[in-house]
Amino acid sequence: MKFITMKIPPFVYTLYQFLLVGGLMMIVSMGFEALRYELDNTLIALLYLIPVGLITAFWGFGPGITSAMTAFIAFNYFFMLPHYALAVHYPADIVILTVFLIVAVVISQLVGRMKASLLAANTREQEALQLYELSIALTGVHNEHDVVQILAKEAQAVLQAEHVKLNITGTESFSFHFPDRYVPSRPAELTLPIQTARNFLGEILLWKVASTIPSMEKRLLQTFASQGALALERARLAQSEAQAQVLKESDHLKSVLLSSVSHELRTPLFTIKAASSSLRGDDVVWDSHERVELIEAIDDEADHLNMLVGNLLDMSRIESGSLQPRREWNVLSEIVGSVAARMRYSMNGHTLEVNVPDTFPLVPVDYVQMEQVFTNLVSNGLKYAPVNTAICICANIEDDMLHVQVSNQGTQVPSEHLERIFDKFYRAAATERVTGIGLGLSICRGIIEAHGGRIWAENLLDGLAFKFTLPLSWDGTLSPQIPMDIETE
Amino acid sequence: MTSMLHILVIDDEPQVQRAMHTILAKRGYKVTTASDGEEGLALAATSEPDIIILDLGLPDMDGVEVCARLREWTQCPIIVLSVRDSERDKVAAFEKGADDYLTKPFGIEEMLARIGVALRHSTSRQSGMPNKLIRAGALTIDLTWHLVKREGREVKLTPTEYKLLAYLAANEGRVHTHQNILTQVWGQEGMDHPEYLRVYMRQLRKKLEADPENPQYIITESGIGYRFISDE
Repeated sequence: MKFITMKIPPFVYTLYQFLLVGGLMMIVSMGFEALRYELDNTLIALLYLIPVGLITAFWGFGPGITSAMTAFIAFNYFFMLPHYALAVHYPADIVILTVFLIVAVVISQLVGRMKASLLAANTREQEALQLYELSIALTGVHNEHDVVQILAKEAQAVLQAEHVKLNITGTESFSFHFPDRYVPSRPAELTLPIQTARNFLGEILLWKVASTIPSMEKRLLQTFASQGALALERARLAQSEAQAQVLKESDHLKSVLLSSVSHELRTPLFTIKAASSSLRGDDVVWDSHERVELIEAIDDEADHLNMLVGNLLDMSRIESGSLQPRREWNVLSEIVGSVAARMRYSMNGHTLEVNVPDTFPLVPVDYVQMEQVFTNLVSNGLKYAPVNTAICICANIEDDMLHVQVSNQGTQVPSEHLERIFDKFYRAAATERVTGIGLGLSICRGIIEAHGGRIWAENLLDGLAFKFTLPLSWDGTLSPQIPMDIETE
Repeated sequence: MTSMLHILVIDDEPQVQRAMHTILAKRGYKVTTASDGEEGLALAATSEPDIIILDLGLPDMDGVEVCARLREWTQCPIIVLSVRDSERDKVAAFEKGADDYLTKPFGIEEMLARIGVALRHSTSRQSGMPNKLIRAGALTIDLTWHLVKREGREVKLTPTEYKLLAYLAANEGRVHTHQNILTQVWGQEGMDHPEYLRVYMRQLRKKLEADPENPQYIITESGIGYRFISDE
């Protein structure tokens, strides 16, 4: 039956049922007619109530009434005198007929109503189940896009829609299509707002091939929309809470930064102020050696201040995400070479050993940023390793990755702190004599990660090594071939 | 002293103006200062400076724009001042005709050296007699005969290597941006291939420098370009 109910439109369906019920009653009547001489008319009337009840129970109220009427006519026609005519001889038969009609109609009414309410209960249960599934799916989803995706998928599946589109408005407006991007060219059959008591959050548009969409489906979609609205609002609240948390953290970070920075900036400023005011004062006469010493202090501390400010700027750039590497194919040995050349003057006592083969393929990096990485890693060695030790830079290639190691013979870092030394403002303990604000390594990490690489620290037998990897491919291509010419005589 | 060399400093910071004035006047230059782009352009037109020192961060207009407007009518050397991490601005200034740059903060010796180079170039440009024989340490480069010698022995260079070296050496002391060198040596094709320059520079340094990792003749200007250092 299910197959038929799905395929046949309502009007044909009734006609078909009408004929079917009529036919059935006819067959039953023929059967009863065979019993006409054995059974009393009143018993036959009682027997007729069986098919009427059954038909109502199976097919509902309409067919029930049809069967009752058919039974009434057939009973009159076959069993009442005169037989085979729609007429009644005895007044008592009229009573039987009337009672039969009333009983048949009442039975079919009652059974039909029961049937209808059962159907309604089933539908409601189905709806409740679908809503339950939707709310389960939406539980714990704190992302607007995920909420919208779930809502669209569920609505499409439950209402068997051709296409579902959700327009979400807010700080970030967007649309979501399901099952694909293709939108039917006609206007949507059903459009419902997605809103809560306070806010309009968007609308849901539904395309479905049907002459009219049953009110039950409309109601279901309405409920879906309000469920979705609640989930969306929840997602937005969660988002703003997360943002508030980030703000709170960055606020805390800022106060750490301010106290650390003001201390670090004041130290070189103090030296500069002391030296310059001494030179300016006329109470003491400085000999040339002393003058040179004071002037050198001013010069050194000015450089130091410049470096601190530079680190702060770099860090704020990394934090704000504006440190985008400007990649080009570069020669690694040139980068390392220029860093080594520049740092030669600040080595005082350390030696710098460089082992970067110049036969390496080109590496896709930002030249200036990579200089910064090497400068910071070498400076770190200069700060923490004792004088007369070596700082080594070496590189090799494994599995299409560049591996670089910058090692020094300084103090080892307890293994539980190896990861933390890349954190902002983190300084290894017991290094009071060392100046800096603990940004150098976190800048390195920011740059390396922006290049798609990884940086970490490892303890060596005689010191500490910073290691990092960088991909040798750039957008899927490896080092390009350069057209070379040859020497001419 | 018949005529003092005249330097125009365009910088909005009063302390910078004061320091530059003191330092340059003590070294025998005549110094004029301007606090913004408009004043700088006006003074450049009226006071005919021999060299202009221009800060790229001006309050009223973009320093690169000032550079472009100066170049509409004067060939006076321009040295731009900028802060660290503004390579894009520096490269833009070079494209608009700046001659050299200094990153704040800088040492005064460095500034004086740059002023010296810029003045030398403007005189050789005016006299129309470019130097045809360039000496730098153990190197001699004869631009007439296309001959490069190191410690008296000829260095064999490929045509591209020679072109690259000759271009840098002919404008010794000056910064050349990557784009500038690429178009000069490789033409239009070079524009999108900065790696050509990197690879040829590595080869050239191997042939010329005693220690290619620590070059003495061709200096890398991070993020900007290269500079050839001669004995002059």
